[in-house]
Parts: sequence; structure tokens; C-alpha cells
Amino acid sequence: MNEDTKAPAVLIENVSKWYGQVIGINDISLAIEGGVTGILGPNGAGKSTLFKLLMGRIKPSQGNVKLFGIDPWSDTSPYRRIGYVSESERLYDWMTGQDFVSTLARLHGMTREEANARAEHVLDFVGLHDVRHKEIGKYSKGMRQRVKIAHALVHDPDLIILDEPLHGCDPIARTSIMNVIRELGRRGKTVLVSSHILEEIERITEQIVILHNGRLLALGNLHAIRDLLDKHPHRIMITTAEPRKLARAFIEEEPVYGVRFPEANKLELQTNDLSAAHSVLPRVIVNSKVSVSRIDNPDDNLESLLGYLIGGE
Amino acid sequence: MDKQGRGLSETVWTQLDRKAGAITELTIRQLRNRISTWVVLGIGVLLISLLLAFYIDAIRTDFEPIDNDGDSEDWDRDGYPVGQELIYGTSDYDNKQYPGSADYIYLGDIDWNDQPRTHDGNHTWRSVSGYFTPSWINEEAENPFGFYSWIDWNNEVYDCPSSGQPFDDWSFFEDSVCILENGTYVMFGASFAAEGELYVQPEWTAEWGYMTEAFDVEKHPKSMYIDEDDIDWNGNSGSQGFDDDGDCLKDQYLTDDNSQNDDNRNGIYCDVQWIFDVNGDLIEIQADRNVDEDPDDSKHIGESSHRTFIIGTGKIAFVMILGLFLPLFLALGLVRDESENGTLHYLLSKPIHRGEFILYRLLGYLAIVVSYTIILVSIVAIITSIIGPGDSIIRLSDYPVWMGIALSTILVLTAYGAIFNTVGLVLPRYGVYICMIYGIWEFLMGLFTITIPSASIPMLSISHWAIQLIDAVVLIAWSDTPLIQQKADAFGLDTGISFFWHPPVHTLETGNPFVALLISVVLILSISIGMIAIGQLIFRNKEIM
Repeated sequence: MNEDTKAPAVLIENVSKWYGQVIGINDISLAIEGGVTGILGPNGAGKSTLFKLLMGRIKPSQGNVKLFGIDPWSDTSPYRRIGYVSESERLYDWMTGQDFVSTLARLHGMTREEANARAEHVLDFVGLHDVRHKEIGKYSKGMRQRVKIAHALVHDPDLIILDEPLHGCDPIARTSIMNVIRELGRRGKTVLVSSHILEEIERITEQIVILHNGRLLALGNLHAIRDLLDKHPHRIMITTAEPRKLARAFIEEEPVYGVRFPEANKLELQTNDLSAAHSVLPRVIVNSKVSVSRIDNPDDNLESLLGYLIGGE
Repeated sequence: MDKQGRGLSETVWTQLDRKAGAITELTIRQLRNRISTWVVLGIGVLLISLLLAFYIDAIRTDFEPIDNDGDSEDWDRDGYPVGQELIYGTSDYDNKQYPGSADYIYLGDIDWNDQPRTHDGNHTWRSVSGYFTPSWINEEAENPFGFYSWIDWNNEVYDCPSSGQPFDDWSFFEDSVCILENGTYVMFGASFAAEGELYVQPEWTAEWGYMTEAFDVEKHPKSMYIDEDDIDWNGNSGSQGFDDDGDCLKDQYLTDDNSQNDDNRNGIYCDVQWIFDVNGDLIEIQADRNVDEDPDDSKHIGESSHRTFIIGTGKIAFVMILGLFLPLFLALGLVRDESENGTLHYLLSKPIHRGEFILYRLLGYLAIVVSYTIILVSIVAIITSIIGPGDSIIRLSDYPVWMGIALSTILVLTAYGAIFNTVGLVLPRYGVYICMIYGIWEFLMGLFTITIPSASIPMLSISHWAIQLIDAVVLIAWSDTPLIQQKADAFGLDTGISFFWHPPVHTLETGNPFVALLISVVLILSISIGMIAIGQLIFRNKEIM
């Protein structure tokens, strides 16, 4: 038995993977145990390659991948404790949700009865209880995502890997899936969630891994990273009918060092401390008695974060 | 450790039945949900139904009694069938000769060098070349010979040339007659009835005899000469057979020894020699002409046609066509399609070995094609065993053969399924063409095996061994099949059984069909297992994007 009971759920040691001349993952080391971890990165950053390595689909060109201390390429036994939600949109459309989840549950060695009971339970957990006897082909996009999550949870795994689970979902489904993921984290599961949208990950977890061009760019608490970011020039876009009146009120405030009027009804604030700027924002707006229809943080996305991180090297 | 305290690696190959059940069931349901599956299975049913329709049609018409020796015909249109003419020894090409017709009996002749060379008398003369001086001419007599010229005394007699000597100076037309001035006729090969004196020059010939009285012989109906001489055999070796219709023996009517024959040269006229080897196996049947030559068709041809149908259907329709087409459509994409559809990772993210996965997918495929084969074989078996020839209501002896056909089909479905699935894995895109080319090879080798089972190149094909399996089972279930073949060959009962069936070749010199059966089963199973193992090995080391 090569299982190390103290081994972390995910251990990646100096792993590289290249496809011919193209590098998918470049010398990444990572250990993850407990809680929800967001894997962030733009398309092509290496998230999918990383997950394929974790799921034993491909073999690392260099280094070791260990799940609970076992190499998933040569031994599928870790999947006894792992649930995987792929980014593939394809499902067996002719099956009902209940069928799909219970059939896959039986691959964990459950009896038909156990599988049916567990399937019903997890479908309830992801909020598909009412439609579980409908064919998957008739499900909405969000329902399809959730049935995929249900199949990954059916055996009560300790490690759950979700590849872009929010991709293409409407806001309601998005919220519901995020709640499911947060709930899993609260229950002490190790959860890996990939996304290329910072805001999504931010609403789920603080613990992130940022990949860029196959390299590990940053690892740790999202807010710590964000605080670093906050100390640098940042923009806040306010949509209002009286931008100049509001600008006068803001120019008095310490964190704001500049204003601009990019459009007739828009005010752009420039700051070096985003959180400080946000903390004064409500008071200034209320005192100025100007009506504001919308506040945006155009720099608060993955691209600007990456831009900062790469530029800061 | 999982929640039951087992090590993770222990849980992969455990609870196989449940995992196998789940994937097998999933595969069955997937195949069931595809239209192409039903199209392929439907075409198979159609093919077998068509064959069955031909069989039913054949069994209704062909098993009517057939005149195998053609002796119910009446070639010379004298109203007497050939069979009856044979018994009476009359010609079936001459309508003047028929049972009861006046018959010419030979009395004497003058040959090339005989002495004396004159003869006096009242005779029917035949093929006379000489000088004839008649005292009485029977001008009413009709030609009893058919193909000898008969003198028409009123119209065909010419005056002889006035100069020169007959036979020396004249040259005559064959069969002609002229009259000399002294009233003597000079004849060249002429036949006639008259009284008088004949002189034959040396080196010329003549013959004479008399005509018997004609008598009435009842004309036999044609039907008397259909199936009139069945195969008489008591199961022992040696001289058997009896000329039931008397067309070989004829001794009732004729004394001429030449009318009887001993074609097989065993010293016994009109018999059938059955030759066995030391093991008691029939080697050859040698029949004298016209003995046991027109057997009961529903008994002999019926039986052998029925067997030919079963063997042919088993080998070509089941093994070579269904055996190839079902896996081509159902097994090629077993894993490949999952990979292309992007649904493979649901299955591979579970704690099952990739090798297990291939195995269970094949099990799911087999569950469908095996039940399909068994159902289809059973339907054909039941229908043909009820309407087939024979006295019993159901031909129970057919069932082992059908079971052998089902076994052989299932084995090739397994082997081809394993091969095609593996090819689909290795070459997802072009695999289908490779499989088609391979399928054509297997089909051709199957055809070669049917015609020349001992040829060595077809041994490289799976169909060769599957067909040999059927040959072996046929010999086990119907041990008298070689006998039926022998009878077919010896008595002209051609039903194709000698084409479609040969004794199994690969018996390790024992001649035991069970050995051949075992070799075929072991070999095809080994190929299947080997191909599954190769497929597993490839799949295990394949990176799935």
C-alpha cells in the first residue's frame, strides 16, 4: 500500500507538461489541503492541463503529481475520494438526472439501492430534486452544471475538483452553485475551483492560485494579493447625472488624487488605495446629495491583477 | 483510507460486479438509444428473414418428387416412358420400338469371308449387299429397324447399268437397289421382307432373321418412374442395393447378358458396393448403373437440402455477415465515441482501472449482440425444425447444430468486437477504414475456408476457425452427414452439401470433431483475450485530451 494517510489531498512537485514544443505547465509545485482554493488564470494559462494531470488523463513530462500520496496516472484508486466536475458540456442527454448520478455512483462500488439513495440525496443538495426524473436533455444550462456537480459529490468525496463550474450559467444558477461550493468548503472538504473571472472566485474563496502562461504566478490569500494591488493606481467609475458636482466633493478626500470625465454622465476617480477610497465612497455620495446609478471598478479584474503581478516582477 | 477503513488501492478492483454491472448497463442503454444500433440489428433480422423465406419457398417446391434419372420422360414419343422401354429393352430413341412391338430376331448372316455365300429362305433381311432373286416379296411389311434403309419396292428400284459388273465396276449409293434385266436385284445395305435366294459376293455382307408377333403392353403412367428406385442400404458394408424397378436386371424380359451391368466390377450384377475403412467409416459408394438411381426426394434431397440451408446460413449469414457487421457498427466506437463525445471523463473520474473500463464496455456490447444472436438463431431454429423434412414433429437433432452456430457467432462477435474496439482506440479517425479492409479479408478467407477448408492462408483468419467450429458441430450432431454427402455424390442427389460442408480439418490427426471444436474455441477465445489485453494496454498508456 503506497498510501500515505498524512499526505495532502493535492501535491504537485516540480511538474512540467509539454505537448511537443508547446508548454502546458512549466515547473509548478503546489500542495493543497482543506478549504476552497480558486485556480485563476486566463484561457490557455494551464488550468486545464493542471486538472488533466490531477485526473490522470495525461502523464507529467517532469515531476510528480500525487493525490492523497498516490500517482493518479498509474493508479486510479484516489478517485475513490475525489469528485470531478469537468468543463465539458456534454452529458448523456437521454438519461434522467437520477439515472445519470446513480449510474456513476455505482462505479464507486455502491449497490443499486445505495446509489439511488445517494443520488437522490446529492440531487437534493444541488437543488435538482424536483427535476431529477426529467431527461438531462431537457435541463437548462445551470441544471446541467449542477447535475455534473451532483455526480461528483455522490460518493461524499474529500477532494472536489471543479473545472469552470460557473461558465455560461445565468446569475441565479451561478449563485446557487457558489453556495454549494462554499458549503462544501465549510464541511471541511478540499475544493479546487478554476475560473478565468476574478469576481466569481472572490465570491467563493480567498485562497487562490494564479496561473499564467503555464507558470504559477501567485499563491495565497486573495485579499493579501488584492491589498498589494490596492496600493497602486486604481480607477473607480461612477455613473451619475451630475459628475462635476460629485467630483468637487471627492477631490477633498485624501485617497483620491485625480478625477476625469470620460463621458457626459460618468466620473472616474483615481486612487492609490482602493479600499480606503471605497470606505469614503458612501459618505461622500450621501453628503453630496447627488444620485448615483452605478459604481464600477474597471481595474478590478483578472487581467489588471495579472498585469500588476507580471509588471511587479 | 476510505470510510470503511480500506486502503484506496484495495478499492479499485473490488466490487467488480457492481462496477461491471453499472458500465455494462450504461453501455447497453447507450447502444439501445442509438438509431444506428436498431438499423443494424434490423438489417440482420431482415437478412435472416429473407433467407428463411427462401428456405420456406424451397421446402415447398423442391421437395416435390423429382425424377432424378429422367426415366419418366418419353423421348421417342411412343407413349412408353423411358423406364418402361429400359425394362423391355426397347429403344427410347425409336418410336417403332416400344414394349410389345414386333421384334426382329437374328437367325444368320453371311460375313466377309463366310462360305457358302448363298442363302435361300423367307426372311426379314437386314443390311443386305448382294444379288437377291425373290420368289415372293412382302410389300406390306413395315420397317422394324428405324435406322436401316427399307426398300420401297414401287418407287426406289432403278434399272441397273447395262455395262460393267456390279460391285466391281459400279459404284452405288449406300442403301440403294437396282434390278438387272434377268429380274435379280442388286442391293447395297438394303433391308426388306421377302422370300428368295441371296448371293453375296466375297467381302460383302448380309443378315437375316424374323419378326416376332406384336403384342399389347399397357403403357405405364409417368409417375411410376419417379422415385421408383430408392436407396436400399441396411447399414452394412459390402454389396447392397436392389434394382427395384428392374431397369438394370431386365431378366424377366430379356436373356441377353449384356443388358445387365456390373459397373463396380464386384462380380455381382446390378448392386451397390458400400466400402468402409477399418474404422467402420464409409469411404465410398460404387453403384452399378440404374440401381437405386431414383431415391425418394423428400427423404434424401429434402434432408440434405435442409442441412445445406442450416450450414450455409450459419457460416455465411451468421458468422461471416452478422459476425462482421454487428461489431463494425457497435464495437468500433465503444470507447472512441465516449472520448469524442466528451463523456469519457465522467467514467474515468471514478475509481476504476482503465482496463476494467474496456472490459465492461465490451461486456455491454456483448450483452446486446449475444442476446440478439441467441434470439435470432432460436427463431430460425424453431421455424426450420418444425417445417423441415422428417417424420418427427420437431427435428431435435438440428438444435445442437444451431447451438454450435450460435457459439461460433458469439465467438467471432467477441473477437471482432475486441479487435475493432482496439483499432478504434488506436486510430480514432481512420480505424473504421482499417476495420472495413480487415472485414473484407475475413469475409474472403471465410469463403475460401468454405470451399477449400484445408488451405493454409485462411488459417490466419478468425472466420476460418469459426467455420471449422460449425463443421465440427455438424459432424457431432449429424454424424451421418458424410454419408449424405456420399449418397449425394454417388446417386446424383446434388444439393450443395458437398460445397457447404467438409469434415473438420484441424483435429490433430485424430479425426475427432470434438478436438476441432475445442481448438477453434480456444483459439478464438485466445485471440479475443489477447486483443482485449492489447486494447487495455494501449488505453492505459493513452493520454486523453
